[in-house]
Amino acid sequence: MSAAPRIVAGYTADDSGALALAGRLARASGALLEVVMVLPSEARNASVPTDSGYERFLKEQSRTWLTTASRALGDDVERALHIRYAESFAEGLIQAAHEFGARLIVVGAARGGLFGRSRIGSVADELLHSADVPVALAPAGSREVPLDLGVTRITTMIGTRPGADALLEASVRLARQTGTPLRLLSLASIDLPAGLDEHLAALTGSAHAEEVLDEARRALPEGIAASAATAAGSSIEDAVRALDWEPGEMVLVGSSRLAAPRHLFLGSTAAKMLRELPVPMIVVPRTTA
Amino acid sequence: MTHSSDPQAPLTAASAAIPGTAAGSETAKRGKGLSAGSVGLIGAIVIGISCIAPAYTLTAALGPTVSEVGVQVPAIILVGFIPMLLVAFGYRELNRRMPDSGTSFTWATRAFGPWVGWMAGWGLIAATILVLSNLAGIAVDFLFLLISQIAGNPDIAEIAMNPFVNVVTCLLFMLGATWVSYRDMQTTQKLQYWLVGFQVLVLVLFSVAALVEVANGNAFDATAIELSWFNPFAIESFSSFAAGLSLSIFIFWGWDVTLTMNEETKGSSKTPGQAATITVVTIVILYLLIAVSLIAFAGVGDGEFGLGNPDIQDNVFFHLAGPILGPLAVLVSLAVLTSSASSLQSTFVSPARTLLAMGHYGALPEKFAKVSPRFFTPGYATIVSAVVASVFYTVMRFLSENVLWDTITALGMMICFYYGITAFACVWYFRAQWFRSVRNVFFTLLFPLIGGVILGVLFFTTLIDSMDPDYGSGSSVGGLGLVFVLGMVVLLGGVVVMLWQWHKRPAFFRGETLTAAEAETAEEPVH
Repeated sequence: MSAAPRIVAGYTADDSGALALAGRLARASGALLEVVMVLPSEARNASVPTDSGYERFLKEQSRTWLTTASRALGDDVERALHIRYAESFAEGLIQAAHEFGARLIVVGAARGGLFGRSRIGSVADELLHSADVPVALAPAGSREVPLDLGVTRITTMIGTRPGADALLEASVRLARQTGTPLRLLSLASIDLPAGLDEHLAALTGSAHAEEVLDEARRALPEGIAASAATAAGSSIEDAVRALDWEPGEMVLVGSSRLAAPRHLFLGSTAAKMLRELPVPMIVVPRTTA
Repeated sequence: MTHSSDPQAPLTAASAAIPGTAAGSETAKRGKGLSAGSVGLIGAIVIGISCIAPAYTLTAALGPTVSEVGVQVPAIILVGFIPMLLVAFGYRELNRRMPDSGTSFTWATRAFGPWVGWMAGWGLIAATILVLSNLAGIAVDFLFLLISQIAGNPDIAEIAMNPFVNVVTCLLFMLGATWVSYRDMQTTQKLQYWLVGFQVLVLVLFSVAALVEVANGNAFDATAIELSWFNPFAIESFSSFAAGLSLSIFIFWGWDVTLTMNEETKGSSKTPGQAATITVVTIVILYLLIAVSLIAFAGVGDGEFGLGNPDIQDNVFFHLAGPILGPLAVLVSLAVLTSSASSLQSTFVSPARTLLAMGHYGALPEKFAKVSPRFFTPGYATIVSAVVASVFYTVMRFLSENVLWDTITALGMMICFYYGITAFACVWYFRAQWFRSVRNVFFTLLFPLIGGVILGVLFFTTLIDSMDPDYGSGSSVGGLGLVFVLGMVVLLGGVVVMLWQWHKRPAFFRGETLTAAEAETAEEPVH
């Protein structure tokens, strides 16, 4: 068995880019790709009689979808294809991630997002509320990004809240695996209570942001190229729009304060960002209570 | 674990949790005991009862049955179960050997070739579409009844008689059911248990209340219960017997699913049999209880609440719940409504899956074989079924004096048609194995053969009798009974569509996509 990291790609037949993003990440980081398609388990069935003939048909059809779609990954990405049964898509993916010891689950962020931006879908939402491994959300349009673009920069959203350590650790690991520079980004200047005097907010905000970034930089291990940036704007959405994003960029955020230890929960800041971000976002669970 | 960069990497066997593979049991052990195939005994019974939908079935079928056989309804209920059981055995054998979502269509094609197979599929689709429209029609009546009961205004229940309001409401129901089926939205198991439990309890309460009223001397037309009610030979004519029987086949329709449902689940070989038995015993007791108590209460005369009154026969609970239960009648409305609603969903599945199989094997346009990538349902086929059922209901509502009654009678005929073909398909498919074991003699030859013959006789008797314009509710078109016209239009329509498909898609009809076959002796498991 190889020690290469594993990535679980949650494939749906109306794939919104999960497979493409997972393939790109696997290629860039030398990970093994476990492409998982989750079919509804019959056990959730309470009113419709099960029919083994239809189950077979469905499995055959899913197999076709899966093999056809995985051809787009080309020959360079090592992958295994799986069909799983679970009561929900999220549950099936989390189980698969545990079984394979995967460090990342990739899913499509949403359906019907506008202009490549994400509007969080129910599958991604369920996953973000229950997963205990990082979850990457592929925005619509991920399929148009060439597979060999790789990862060109990793941006980590830094705050001082609990969980920042785990986030930094995950960012560093990904940066090492993909050999890409890190950008530390602070949203501290915007992430302040509403109603605060604007001028004062800007002042304390930027001072606070600098502080946070310095601290994060000190925590970085040797040999990681890191830049720092402070987002500015009157709202999270403004700030995200104002920043520059590379097509091969990957954004990492920590999960919300409200999340259970070691589990994900998408905070309101991250949710707002997700709406505006043109690049994939990875949500990292807090490891400590 | 082997990883390969071959784009056609085989699916790892370990991840296929389909029961029957080595990994199926493994998953079952790990995953909270819920593997792909396990619904469990209670779950299977609940699904079975919910599919049969006793509250809906009885309110729709009791009246027409009384009009055919009078007080001998209990007898016909008991006898009606026999052909159903015999054919269900054949169904199970076929399902074991050739599990396929096309069921009757696929099996009949394998046994008798593409033409017969196509018509069997058509018969199944027609029957389910007829019942869909009837279900929605009953639901409409009870919706308005429920509102009127809650509002305390009897006039509201009458609104359901306005054809325009009726059709619009019915189409809305259909739209809702299509939405639910397309998205495969399932109620939670707990809610489903409550709904089915509620339905059974209300039916028991309804019968007991009717018997109490009889005992108190408050019955509308107290009729002394006699043993002859249970004697099928007391029925006046063979025509009535046949018509009653084809109706009672309808009331057990849907039961067969419990027999085949858990077939493949490992380690629960007894579950399907047990589930089917418990389901059918529950259903038969319920049916007898209701039939006996309502006849005792209301009699079979044609008085205001008499079960022989054509004005109440299409929907007897609708008219009798009030007189029997008074203020509690609202419970009956709720039970019938929830019963039709959950049955609408499970019924939608059959025509959609058969259409899907027909599309898949090239007997219909390929579009029908489309599976929704998001909900894993036969999306296109579901929508087509809904549209056809809606159009059918709308046309019938304006054409027939008594749409619910006529659809139920025509439905019985269609069920006899495709179930009969399925039974014969079983007999013929297993022809090389009939005498391989004593079990085979019964399950692949005698049972399905007798069942098939009974259904065949019923089909032709009903067809011939229904030519009489007075047949059923008494609606007629051009001097012929509406039920006959309906049956003929459906069947001949099927032939026309079949010929058209033959022209467009000859491959299926040349037997290239689904070959005729015969069970080979080599496949026979050693006993």
